[in-house]
Amino acid sequence: MTKKINFRFLPLVVFVLLLGFLLKGLFSDPSERDSALIGKSFPQFELPDLNSNNKMHTPETLLTEPVLVNVWGTWCTTCKYELPFLTKLANEYDVKIVGLYYDQNHAPEFGEYADIPTIRVEVKEMLARLGNPYQYNILDLDRSLSLDLGVTGAPESFLIDANGIVRMHHMGDVNERIWREKLAPVWNEISQ
Amino acid sequence: MIPELGNFALYIAFALSILLSIFPAIGVRQNNARLMAMAPNLSIGLFVFTLFSFSCLVYAFLTDDFTVVNVAQNSNSALPNQYKFAASFGSHEGSFLLWLLMQSGWLFAVAIMSKGLPVDMRTRILTVLGWVCVGFYAYIIISSNPFERTLPYFPVDGRDLNPLLQDIGMIIHPPLLYMGYVGLSVSFAFAIAALLSGNLDSTWAKWSRPWTAAAWAFLTLGITVGSWWAYSELGWGGWWFWDPVENASFMPWLVATALLHSLAVSEKRNAFKSWTVFLAIAAFSLSLLGTFLVRSGVIVSVHAFASDPERGIFILILLALVIGGSLLLYSLRAGNIKSFGKFSIFSRESMLWGNNVLLIAATMVVLMGTLLPLVHKEIGLGTISIGEPFFNQMFTYLIVPFALLLGIAPLVRWKQDKLNNFVTKPVVVIISSVVLTLLWLKVEFNDINLLAALGTCLAVWVVLFTLLELKQTSKKVSLFKLPLSHYSMSLGHIGLAFVIAGVALTSQYSVERDVKMNTGDSAELRGYQFTFDKIKNIEGPNYDGWAAVISVTKQDKPVATMLAEKRFYPVQRNTMTEAAIDDGFFRDIYISLGERLPDGAWALRLYVKPYVRWIWLGGIIVAFAGGLTLFDRRYRNKNVAKVTAQ
Repeated sequence: MTKKINFRFLPLVVFVLLLGFLLKGLFSDPSERDSALIGKSFPQFELPDLNSNNKMHTPETLLTEPVLVNVWGTWCTTCKYELPFLTKLANEYDVKIVGLYYDQNHAPEFGEYADIPTIRVEVKEMLARLGNPYQYNILDLDRSLSLDLGVTGAPESFLIDANGIVRMHHMGDVNERIWREKLAPVWNEISQ
Repeated sequence: MIPELGNFALYIAFALSILLSIFPAIGVRQNNARLMAMAPNLSIGLFVFTLFSFSCLVYAFLTDDFTVVNVAQNSNSALPNQYKFAASFGSHEGSFLLWLLMQSGWLFAVAIMSKGLPVDMRTRILTVLGWVCVGFYAYIIISSNPFERTLPYFPVDGRDLNPLLQDIGMIIHPPLLYMGYVGLSVSFAFAIAALLSGNLDSTWAKWSRPWTAAAWAFLTLGITVGSWWAYSELGWGGWWFWDPVENASFMPWLVATALLHSLAVSEKRNAFKSWTVFLAIAAFSLSLLGTFLVRSGVIVSVHAFASDPERGIFILILLALVIGGSLLLYSLRAGNIKSFGKFSIFSRESMLWGNNVLLIAATMVVLMGTLLPLVHKEIGLGTISIGEPFFNQMFTYLIVPFALLLGIAPLVRWKQDKLNNFVTKPVVVIISSVVLTLLWLKVEFNDINLLAALGTCLAVWVVLFTLLELKQTSKKVSLFKLPLSHYSMSLGHIGLAFVIAGVALTSQYSVERDVKMNTGDSAELRGYQFTFDKIKNIEGPNYDGWAAVISVTKQDKPVATMLAEKRFYPVQRNTMTEAAIDDGFFRDIYISLGERLPDGAWALRLYVKPYVRWIWLGGIIVAFAGGLTLFDRRYRNKNVAKVTAQ
C-alpha cells in the first residue's frame, strides 16, 4: 500500500523539480549572459578560414586591433540587408570587420554535413553582389565559438577592443541608426 | 474614454472571479443553496464584462487609437480592417485578453449548460474554474494590461502588425487554439471537483466527455490551421517545425487525446479512473506550461526576444499553485479511487491502455525535446539544441505500434476477447495494405521509398480496419441507428490515416529546385514546366513589392498561372515572401520568389509537394469527428439531466 502512495506522489515530485529549473531558467536568459560577456576576454578558439582548411585563426591573429566580429550566414535573410551597410562601414569608416560564419544545416550527430565547397561559392556570389565588408571569414562549423559567445541567431555583432575585451554585443542587423546610436560611441572610444 | 471603460470592465471581471472563487465554495460547505446559486450568475457576469472589455480593445484598434500603447505598437492606420481586428490579439497583452475571453466563454457555457448536474457538483466545477480565473485576471491586470496609455505623448501613427501575422490564418488560428487550451480547463475543473467531492463514479466521466471532446476538437483545428498558416505564410514550404511554440500546443493535444480514450474506458467500464483524473490534470497543466514557455521567454529565448522576468515569475507562481495544488490533491485523494472494471490481457481496455501508453510516451518525447536544452544548460552541461531529426525519428518509431493498435482496437471486445479471432483478419488486412500501398506508390511515383511505404501502409491498414469494423457492426446494429459517437470514432481514425499518409508521402516525395530565371525562361520539375512570364510591380494598402507571374504547364496543358510575391512593409522595415501556391488534392505546386540578382534575373525556388493537403484535410476530419461526439444523444443536455434524476 505504501508503495502505491509513493507512486502517486511521483508527478508532484517531477513537477516541483521542473519548477526549479524553470525558475532558474527564467533568470539566465541570453540577454543576461550577454551582459556577463561584456567586459570579459574574447573566448579562446582555433578555427579554420572559410576559404582554406589549412589557414587557422586564433585570438592571437584576430585580436591585434579593435575589431567588429559579425556572425552571419548566406541562409540568413537579415544578414543580406546589413551587408551593404557593413561594407560602407569598412570602406568609409575604416572599421575592421571579421566574419564568423556558421552553417545552419550542419548536424553531424544526425548525419547532416555542411557542403563546404558550395558554401564557399554561395558566399563569394553573395559578397560580390551585396558588398564584402570582411577582412576574412572564420568558419565555425560546429558552432563552438558561437556558443561561447552566446550567439542565438544571425546576424549578431560584437565590438572587441585592442586588448581582446568584448565591449558591445548587438543582436539583429546593424544599420545606420543602430550604428549611430549604439555601436559608434563604443567604436570611437576603442579605436582611438 | 473607451479604453478606460474596457479597463474598468476588466477590473469588475476580476472582482467577480474573486467572488466566484469564495462564496459558492462556502455554500457547498454549509450546504447553503443561496450561496451555491451565486456561481452560475457570477460566471455569466464574468463573461459579459470580459466580452465588453475585449470589444473595447477591438474598438481601440479599429479606430486607430494610438494613445493606447498596445495599439501604437501593433497596428497602423494603413492596416486593412480585418488585420486591425487580428492585431488586437497579435500582441502578448491582447492575446491574453482573448485568452480570458475564451476562458470566461467556457465558464459561461458550463454555467448555462450544466443545469442537469447535481447542484453541489455544478457549483464545485464553477468554483474551480473561478480559481483559475482569479490567477489569470490578476496576471493581466498586474503585469500585462492591454489598455495602458501612451499619454501625454502619443505617436501619430502606429508601428504596424508584424507582416507575418497579416494573414487570414492568423485571424482564426489563435482563437481556435485558445479555445482548445482553455477548454481543457473544463475537463480539469470536472476532475478537480470530482476529487474534492470524493465522488468519482462513471457518471463523472460521462459528464466530462463532451466537454473534453469539444476542447479537443478546437485544439485539433487550431493546430491544423497553425500548420497551414506556417506553410502558406513562412514561404519555405514546411508545415511543421517542432518549434517550442508548436510543441507547446502539441503536448496538451497528445494528452487530451489520451484523456478522451481513457474517459471512454472510465465511462463504459468503470476502469482507469484514477489515471483518467491524472490525465485531465495533466492536459490542462501542459496548456499552462506551454503558455509559460511561450510567454516568459525561457525557451523562446532562442528567438532572441527581450523577455520580461516579472511576467515569467508571475506565470510560474500561477503554475506552481494550479499544477502543484492539483497534483498534491491528486496524490492525497487518488488512493481512494477504486476502479471496479476488471479486464483481461487481450481486451478493448488493454488496447486503449496501449493507446494511452504510446500517447504519453509521445508527450514525454516532445516535453523532453523542448525542455532538455534548458535543463542541460541549467545543470552546467552547456548549450545543446534538439531539432527536427530527433523528433521525426522518435515519432516514426511511435507511430508504427500506435497505428497498428489503432486499427485493431475498435474490433476487440470490452473486458475479454479471444486472441484466436484476431489471426486471419490482420493477416488479410496487412497483405491488402501492403499490396495497395505498393500499387499506389508505383503508379503515382514510379519509385518506392521505404519510409513512405511504411507510413502509407499504416494509413491503409487503419482505413481498412475501420471499414471492416463498420461492416461487422452493421450486422448487429443498423448503421442508421449507430450512435453518433461511434461514427465520431471511425471518422477520427480515418482522419488520422489521412494525416499519416500525407506526412509520409509529402516528406518523402516532395521535390524542390532553386532556379535563376529571366523573363521568358522556363524550368522543369517533376513533369511540370514553369515559365517565367513577367515581373510586375504591386502595391498593397501597407506594402509594395514585386510579383512574378509564372505559368505552369504539364505535357503542354496549362495547369495554373501563379503569382509569387516579394513584399516590403515600410513601417516595420520588413520584407516578406508571399509564396504562390497552386493547391490540389494530390499535390501542391509552391513557388517562392527570392532575390533579384545583379543581372536582372530573379532567384526562385520551385516545389512540388505531393499529398501535402492531406495533412490538413486529415486534421479537419479529426476535429470534425470530435465535434460530432457533442451531438450524440447520450450527451445532450436533457439526457444528462435524466441520468442525474435517476
